[in-house]
Amino acid sequence: MLDNFNFRIIFEYLPLFLNGLKFTFLISLVALFLALITGIIACACRISSIKVLKYPVIAYIEIIRSTPLLVQIYFLYFGLPTLGIRVPEIQTGIIALMLNSGAYIAEIIRAGINSVDQGQIEAGLSSGLNYVQRMRFIILPQALGVTVPPLLGQAIVLVKDTSLLSLISVVELTRSGQTMTSERFMPSEAFLTVAFFYMCIYFCLKALADWSQRKLIFREAY
Amino acid sequence: MIEFKGVNKWFDKLHVLNQINLMIPKGEVLVICGPSGSGKSTLIRCINKLEPIQKGEIIVNEMSVHKPTTNLTKLRAEIGFIFQQFHLYPHMTALQNIMLAPVNVKKITKVEAEKIARQKLERVGLSEKADSYPAQLSGGQQQRVAIARGLAMSPEIMLFDEPTSALDPEMIGEVLDVMVSLALEGITMCVVTHEMGFAKKVADRVLFMDEGKIIETGKPTDFFDNPKTERAADFISKILTH
Ligand SMILES: Nc1ncnc2c1ncn2[C@@H]1O[C@H](COP(=O)(O)OP(=O)(O)OP(=O)(O)O)[C@@H](O)[C@H]1O
Ligand SMILES: [Mg+2]
Repeated sequence: MLDNFNFRIIFEYLPLFLNGLKFTFLISLVALFLALITGIIACACRISSIKVLKYPVIAYIEIIRSTPLLVQIYFLYFGLPTLGIRVPEIQTGIIALMLNSGAYIAEIIRAGINSVDQGQIEAGLSSGLNYVQRMRFIILPQALGVTVPPLLGQAIVLVKDTSLLSLISVVELTRSGQTMTSERFMPSEAFLTVAFFYMCIYFCLKALADWSQRKLIFREAY
Repeated sequence: MIEFKGVNKWFDKLHVLNQINLMIPKGEVLVICGPSGSGKSTLIRCINKLEPIQKGEIIVNEMSVHKPTTNLTKLRAEIGFIFQQFHLYPHMTALQNIMLAPVNVKKITKVEAEKIARQKLERVGLSEKADSYPAQLSGGQQQRVAIARGLAMSPEIMLFDEPTSALDPEMIGEVLDVMVSLALEGITMCVVTHEMGFAKKVADRVLFMDEGKIIETGKPTDFFDNPKTERAADFISKILTH
């Protein structure tokens, strides 16, 4: 099969792919950063006892989790303009990814917080530590440990999800493959190359996840 | 001083504390015993408001514990609580565990807090374990660190909820020794325990609970040797054969 592959064409189109890779990387980075902030805020609301914060956030998380990302992207892509909000496709895409990953990240952080033994919280309470102090000194340091690996997992998902933005004509890695395919009908070469670059990103993130995992195992065993 | 005035508490329909009236004067060592599920833990957990109550009033050092305006931080800083499962913070060393509340609640300096922490560790016989993490300590040592953590706030009252029940038999003695020395120092103590030896040695009074009610109170020797009620007699014969 490889005999039939035209590698020359891949090199010819390399600048296009590298440009796509650059945008995939940047979009992922910005979306992940915003999703982390969204997730932290959403989680804070989700676990608070204030009903006007808690219930809207529960609704948000459930809506995101129960609908496909592509539908969410299309909803924003076609929906925002009807509300009079006109933003470039790339920003629409980043907002969609931010809202989507933010909901999952909120749940990841919440699981981390819930993993801290209730007894330690009571120990903190009974020595007079207030809510912020219990969070800061008892809950978050321990929650962080269990949260990092799933967060990196979510980062990997987010990078792959950026490929859906090609459907609203955002220039990124998958879009580069589509462009090459439409100019020179060579989809195998195009998408093999695209896949290769996604794999590169994946293995970098996975190495990071494994490294943090080793750190955590070390932490638990002391 | 702790006073319960007509305290009632329900978990849903379950009446866990039924019309509790109780006066614990300053310096008293009170042992609370009774069958499983009788409400012993709930009773002492209400004293520092780890549990809310639905009726009645609890007064600790002139403060009404369950009044919304009460300064809970101040109240809790005066009461040490020791749990059956120790509940040390696993990501902190013994020393850090002990220093956390003095530094952040009492706002004393780290230097001062460390001095106090080392004193308290010495007090429970664990000077050399200052830099150990909980996972590196035995159950008995963990419980002694937990007691040192409670003492570091210089509380007037110490509450113990079955402090030795999670320990292997050979470690019970070391924890009880620390508790006996505390009792002899005159600190006010409420101890939920079935350790009759401890009760006979240092308790001023034993309180027997069943089904959320105080059934009987008395001097330890009277209570264990001549219980007044059938239920208490039955309970004592069970812990003796145990
Ligand atoms: N958070 C809770 N929610 C509902 N019911 C509870 C809760 N905590 C305790 N109970 C119930 O209240 C009753 C009294 O519990 P409590 O823990 O005070 O008993 P105890 O005398 O300490 O028992 P043990 O010797 O087993 O520790 C039990 O029937 C228990 O099942
Ligand atoms: Mg109990």
